[in-house]
Amino acid sequence: MKKYILALLFLLPLTLFANLSVAVTYPYIGALTKAIGGDKVDTVVLAKGNWDPHFVVPRPSLIAKVRDADALIMNGGQLEIGWLPPLIDRASNPKIATNAKTFLDLSQHVELLQKPTSVDRSGGDVHPDGNPHFHLDPNNILILAGTVKEFLISIDSQNSAEYEKNYAQFSDMWNKKLDMWKTNMTDKKGLKVVQYHNVMAYFNHAYGLTSIATIEPLPGIPPSSKHTMELIELIKKENPCCILHDVYHDTKTAEFISEKSEIKVVIMPHDVGALDTIEDLVSLFDYLTSAVK
Amino acid sequence: MKKIVLAIALCATLALAGESGGSFDQSKFIPDVSLIVDTGYVHRNVSNADLENSVPTSKYGDYGTFKEFNTNNGFNLNYAEMALHSNVDQAFELDGIFHYATESVEIEEAYFTTKALPYSFRVKGGKFKSDFGRLNSQHAHVWDFADAPLVYNSFLSPEGINAPGVQFQWLAPTPWYMKLGFEAMQKGNGGTFANDFDKKDGEALYVGYLKNSFDVKDASLLFGVSYANGVSNIEDAVSALPIYKGNSEIYGADLSVKNYFNSYSFINWQSELLYRDMKSDDATIDKDKKQSGYYTQLVYQMDENWKTGLRYEGFLQDSNGGKTTMDASYKTSEFAQLRLQYSHDEAFKQNDVKKAIDEIVLQLTFAIGAHGAHSF
Ligand SMILES: [Zn+2]
Repeated sequence: MKKYILALLFLLPLTLFANLSVAVTYPYIGALTKAIGGDKVDTVVLAKGNWDPHFVVPRPSLIAKVRDADALIMNGGQLEIGWLPPLIDRASNPKIATNAKTFLDLSQHVELLQKPTSVDRSGGDVHPDGNPHFHLDPNNILILAGTVKEFLISIDSQNSAEYEKNYAQFSDMWNKKLDMWKTNMTDKKGLKVVQYHNVMAYFNHAYGLTSIATIEPLPGIPPSSKHTMELIELIKKENPCCILHDVYHDTKTAEFISEKSEIKVVIMPHDVGALDTIEDLVSLFDYLTSAVK
Repeated sequence: MKKIVLAIALCATLALAGESGGSFDQSKFIPDVSLIVDTGYVHRNVSNADLENSVPTSKYGDYGTFKEFNTNNGFNLNYAEMALHSNVDQAFELDGIFHYATESVEIEEAYFTTKALPYSFRVKGGKFKSDFGRLNSQHAHVWDFADAPLVYNSFLSPEGINAPGVQFQWLAPTPWYMKLGFEAMQKGNGGTFANDFDKKDGEALYVGYLKNSFDVKDASLLFGVSYANGVSNIEDAVSALPIYKGNSEIYGADLSVKNYFNSYSFINWQSELLYRDMKSDDATIDKDKKQSGYYTQLVYQMDENWKTGLRYEGFLQDSNGGKTTMDASYKTSEFAQLRLQYSHDEAFKQNDVKKAIDEIVLQLTFAIGAHGAHSF
């Protein structure tokens, strides 16, 4: 008995000072949570930053990762529809249930672009709630940081001062960066671009770039030769500056188009970890704002 | 007749729920609905009638049907499967899966699942597919081939272990994925645990399993062991005479290594061995039986569109031969798949003559409605 009490006494401080364990779906959410949570929060990131965010592999090991999480933050906007529901379902963890106070859907806190008025799968695998790649507008990152701060305070009010302090620091730093990126991008305003999938919609929106077409004929449908030939004609007519290409699709078709129409292919990392050099949110937008030329 | 009424009522409810509007609008509460349709064209060197008289060449392969889909030479409408899913409230979610064949409707599954139990416990109840082995809980539309392995069809029946019952699952607090499960069921469909005659009161089948998984770089390793113990009261499908009565056990072991090259491409090597031990209560009807069967398969998904697989399978004791299956499938999107499959099967004889079954299946599978989760 005494032994038990002794053991309990040793374990007690551990549980008292145990960090909040927050599972997040994508690396950028992990970076935000780390920035606001500081050393009060442990983050577990589920998806790889250099793979397709629409097709995260629902490995059983991910179930073990969310099994004991105290909270879950997801992107939302149906980006996780193909892989997260079964993980939540099988993890049997009431703290990550969609109705829990410890569950956060970021898409509920930003304005979504390109909300379709009607959806039909003959138009491809469209995102029915609007384009969910909203974190690629750096102005949204600030809103999301505020959302994460409020969320952490609501579930761990003891450390609210810490979260407020971290948020203040982050937003100071981010505002300075926003000015810098804006200056970098002023002369890019009005440029026309082509993409693989409309991942950069919010980035384009933020800096006044116009996306005139995508290499995939329909959302989620791989390139077809007919569409590619039409695209080459369109490029010759419209003169876009470049093809903004993600890191996870094969650049084969883009390179073919590039050869035929003398247009540049620019690799655009979509998340932290998409390229080896993209280690955090700042380096992500540093890269993006200097990549378009 | 009743079944058709049920189906019509279900559709009417959905249609009405969708149409109402205004102050008492309920349309936001419509469950997720999806419909899957599976059709096939078959060319086989054995006539439909001879196929029905197929008897396993293996002495102990009895007590099971070997085919449920693509049974006829020519065109087959295999099934239409309607699935409904929604949260009931903060504590439960509910699933209903209705299996429509040309002339019948069946409640394939209808079960609740708990959402809020502590300590990583989960309880399921109703009629559901058991989590025995690697394949039993899988629906046909996520199979890697057009048909299930022979040993599954033989031991567990083409519908698998699927019966009213209760399931308890627990995730162990280990750094890797480890799931422990226990199920008690009323009976186990056809196959080994059929409960056709002299029915025992109460539940008749118990299932337990342990499943593990961990990752090495971009590869996931899965391995599990399963055990089923239940009453077998089997009667002949045609004569209705009792042909076996006793207690049966099935032991299963499965292993798969699945390596992803990127978001869209993987190679998966998966194998499973089942061992069946049947102890007869009544030697005047039949004797004790022991038998085992296995499959091993390699599946390669090249990209978002193309996938191909190779499977070899058979029975271990007194079997005459195995079955080799090859398939290639093409997806126009996540929601439509076209598959071409060839198989060469030496495990059967028809009318007392050993004859390999060569079969080509062209299968089309479509899904509409709610976005299903990607399978692993
Ligand atoms: Zn998208």
